[in-house]
Amino acid sequence: MKKIYSVVAATGLALALSGCGSNSVSTPSFADLDEKKLCNVQANGIEKVLATAATYNKISKEHGVEFKRLGMTNSQYITGAQNAIKSGAKKVVLLNKKGKATKNSVTVSYAVQRACKFAVSSLTQAAEGKNTWRAAVPGDGFKY
Amino acid sequence: MLLNIVKSTALVALASCVLNAGEFNAQAEKDRLALEKYTVAKFKDAEKNRDNFFPYSTDSELKNNIKKDIKSEEFSMGNYAFSIQGQFSYNEIKEMPPYEELVEAGEEIYNENKAIQACFPETTIAGDYPYFDETRKEVVSLTSAINECLSNAGQKKWNEKKGKMPILQAYFAAESTDAEKKVNIKIPSAEAAAAYERGKEYYYTQRGYLKLSCATCHVQGAGKRVRNESLSQLFGHTTHFPVYRLKWGKDKVANGLGTLERRMAGCIKDQGQVPPKTSSKEMKELLYFMAYMSNGMNVDGPDVRK
Repeated sequence: MKKIYSVVAATGLALALSGCGSNSVSTPSFADLDEKKLCNVQANGIEKVLATAATYNKISKEHGVEFKRLGMTNSQYITGAQNAIKSGAKKVVLLNKKGKATKNSVTVSYAVQRACKFAVSSLTQAAEGKNTWRAAVPGDGFKY
Repeated sequence: MLLNIVKSTALVALASCVLNAGEFNAQAEKDRLALEKYTVAKFKDAEKNRDNFFPYSTDSELKNNIKKDIKSEEFSMGNYAFSIQGQFSYNEIKEMPPYEELVEAGEEIYNENKAIQACFPETTIAGDYPYFDETRKEVVSLTSAINECLSNAGQKKWNEKKGKMPILQAYFAAESTDAEKKVNIKIPSAEAAAAYERGKEYYYTQRGYLKLSCATCHVQGAGKRVRNESLSQLFGHTTHFPVYRLKWGKDKVANGLGTLERRMAGCIKDQGQVPPKTSSKEMKELLYFMAYMSNGMNVDGPDVRK
């Protein structure tokens, strides 16, 4: 009996030590975040939505999934909106890929909403992606 | 009792790893073969298989632009393997390839830099990178290896996307192509297999505000048209890097050559996401996966792309 215990314990320990087991790492899930609710400027107010954007975008950057649109990162949207609110400007000037101002601009409210949507959906999408990516792999979930 | 457990533990751990030693690439090989099978089937007869693979393509483009019965090894040419129109302009450019003088410049850099020569005494190495370093337990790309070599020799690191870096890599690629080297990526351990799996997950995960994965365009989308270009296929993607892109070289020829990291960063930006840094773990593992998908194919670099 002692020998059986010994073998069972040894096998479990060995599998754990050998690194031949699963390599899955648990990450917090953001799949349940409600982007429409969180990013509604009319219902929540512009400053609260901007704060939400900043909070989730920080996590998004830590996870390496921050959104970028036409050369402008979501962090730049957030900073642009923060500066516009501080200075009382009505528009946020869009930047090019070198970080220089372009001729285009959006309203502060629009920039805040976009920044929030980008921050939240980058995380919900990443959480969703953990369960869906295999569907695109030939020989795995992708059938043709 | 305790001694017995320790002894048995060591024995079982050893046996378990020895049994698995030859199989660390089993999943990767399965993936590679499945991708090859899919790619070959897709381009067997595009017109005939339209419902399966090209439901939105026009009759004309399937008939006049997509070649039939392409052999596996031909896919190392990227989309020029199947795109008839693309191949026509490619052949014209290849008559006087714009990267030729840059390969010579790469050879000069190699001959003048003793540190680089010491780190890379063999120049036909393009197909051997990225590799998994068992001591450091991480993927090493050719780009990171070159910069680490420079740094260890007290020299300034090079730009990892353009300039001297792809110019030297173009020399290595040309030497490897001339020596008829093949892509030879190894997965020697469980840690290496895990790095490969993370790279694979990165490749197939939808990302950015456009919610595109790399595979959307280069697996399921391969052969489809975006504006006037046919999307290239993952199978054979890394064989011909560094590449000279006409778009990159329009202002300055020397900037036309780019590393694989430069191209991947551009692709990820196009998906609508901030790309990982060129020497980050994510980027190197992504390249590791991609390179494995071209395993066994001829090194065919440097090459030219639009």
